[in-house]
Amino acid sequence: MQLLKQILLRLSFGVVSLLFISFVTFVADEVAPGDAATIQAGEKARAEDVEALRRRMGLDRPWPIRYVEFVGNAVRLDFGNSYTGAREPVSKIILRGLSMTLRVASLAILLAAGLGILLGTIAAVRQNRFADRAVLTLSTLGVTVPNFVLAPVLVYIFALQLDVLPQTWEVNRVAPDFYYLLLPVVILALRPMAMLTRLTRASVVDTMQQEFVRLAVAKGVPPLRLVFKHVLRNALLPVVTAIGTSFGFLLTGSFIVERAFVIPGLGREAIEAIQKRDTPVIQATVLLAGALFILVNLLVDLLLPLLDPRIREAQV
Amino acid sequence: MKKRRGDFLFWLGVGYLVLLVIFAVTMPWARHHYLEAKGQPNIGPNAVYWLGTDEQGRDIVARLAYGALISLQVGFTVQILSLAIGILVGVLGVFAPRWIGVPLMRLTDGMFAFPDILLAILIIGVWSTGLFPVIVALAITAWPSVARLVFTQVASLKDREFFIASKALGARTPYLVFWHILPHLWGVLMAVSMIELAGTILAESALSFLGIGVQAPTPSWGSMINNARSDMNSNPLNLLWPCLILSLTIFALNFVGDGVRAMLDPKSRSDR
Repeated sequence: MQLLKQILLRLSFGVVSLLFISFVTFVADEVAPGDAATIQAGEKARAEDVEALRRRMGLDRPWPIRYVEFVGNAVRLDFGNSYTGAREPVSKIILRGLSMTLRVASLAILLAAGLGILLGTIAAVRQNRFADRAVLTLSTLGVTVPNFVLAPVLVYIFALQLDVLPQTWEVNRVAPDFYYLLLPVVILALRPMAMLTRLTRASVVDTMQQEFVRLAVAKGVPPLRLVFKHVLRNALLPVVTAIGTSFGFLLTGSFIVERAFVIPGLGREAIEAIQKRDTPVIQATVLLAGALFILVNLLVDLLLPLLDPRIREAQV
Repeated sequence: MKKRRGDFLFWLGVGYLVLLVIFAVTMPWARHHYLEAKGQPNIGPNAVYWLGTDEQGRDIVARLAYGALISLQVGFTVQILSLAIGILVGVLGVFAPRWIGVPLMRLTDGMFAFPDILLAILIIGVWSTGLFPVIVALAITAWPSVARLVFTQVASLKDREFFIASKALGARTPYLVFWHILPHLWGVLMAVSMIELAGTILAESALSFLGIGVQAPTPSWGSMINNARSDMNSNPLNLLWPCLILSLTIFALNFVGDGVRAMLDPKSRSDR
């Protein structure tokens, strides 16, 4: 019962946050100069024609009604048509970009989580020895060096000097996609990886000092089994939560990486839309990115009770 | 021994930042006539152009210095704005009547949850690119973290004896806030501001790198990195300088922020 109540609470939080983001994006369009009617009427249209068109499109109704309509349409991924180019439906543009972005971002989060947990555990087990210091220094660098500095530098080294990887994503790819995605994924993963490494280290160090671990050592549990079965299972909970929050870094990071490597993803569509002042596309990309962020965090929150019996059984 | 290492990094950071400010204030003025395209494009470092010229024949030193000025300008303005809004909201969250305080703090939490610079990108997207929109957008993104910090600090200070004593003597809330709350906050806020300043400078550069921040011909480190990418094969040095100065600045600000925090909190110093 408790658990059900909690899940419902989390879900309602998620819905409220989604509504908040949708409201911010809706207001963004309200304050932006021009609306769908002015765009559709064209530049040379007379004021009364624009006004008539606006009435026909229902844009003269009060904003609360239009906001409800906006949310209803957004749920069906209907954001109207792009203001520029071939006036494609916005949903088509963003779905195209979304699949690419999700591909890169999910690979990056896998890499970040896998390596981050591994390195963090190694550092914690070898606390204050060489491996620990090396991992800590590297993760500090990973958090501090911006990815738009790292991207050109790594491209210079691996694509131009060593010539082992392609410089950018290409439409006609000669090698498997893996080669094209390697650098972007690594760069995107670096910052969340560094964060997860530090967090895992702190958490594992903390867990290792607890009594049940000392008991396990005294009992003679072999070291590997000790780390994986006894320590990690307890230490990983905050790390799993952090994987959810680091998804936000991935989203903004993908803006940078997609520009640096000319990858046709959500971020690149958004930047192009901003430069062309294409409001529906901007709205849709930001709304989608925000919704993804909230959904991922919601999923993580809901996953936690599965991992930890303590949360499952006893919590308010 | 560990303590001395932290102090060393702190003073190294302070030294670098002082040099950076001097560089940012004097160089654009001393070399302003180098800002427009003057020389041959892409020449190496020499006596006239100390670090050479970029792809349009503009002096790299002058552009770096002007970029530093822009970064500091954006950084400090955004920090002042976000401190002002954050302190106001945080204090109101504690002292204002519930129907103001609670919604304000919920709004803060909501904005805080919004990932990174996504909100700034949205604001710039519907408004405009350029220096002023960037400052406003980043300030709107930055204040919630200050507000949350101030809120928790004020909420705990409110229960301390000196506060209760002063209140019992009949002091009014504004007096209490200015004389008994805010003076306690400056240290913590200083440390957080240094690290937030690094974040702001980074965000400004990221926006300029994406091409939606400070617009050409105004130089910014971010746009310099982006421009230098196009022919980094023949002129890797043009890429190196802005990357270097940006990374060093971020490092220095983090060292200084950590140093200030360590000075405030002797416990964290012994933990490190």
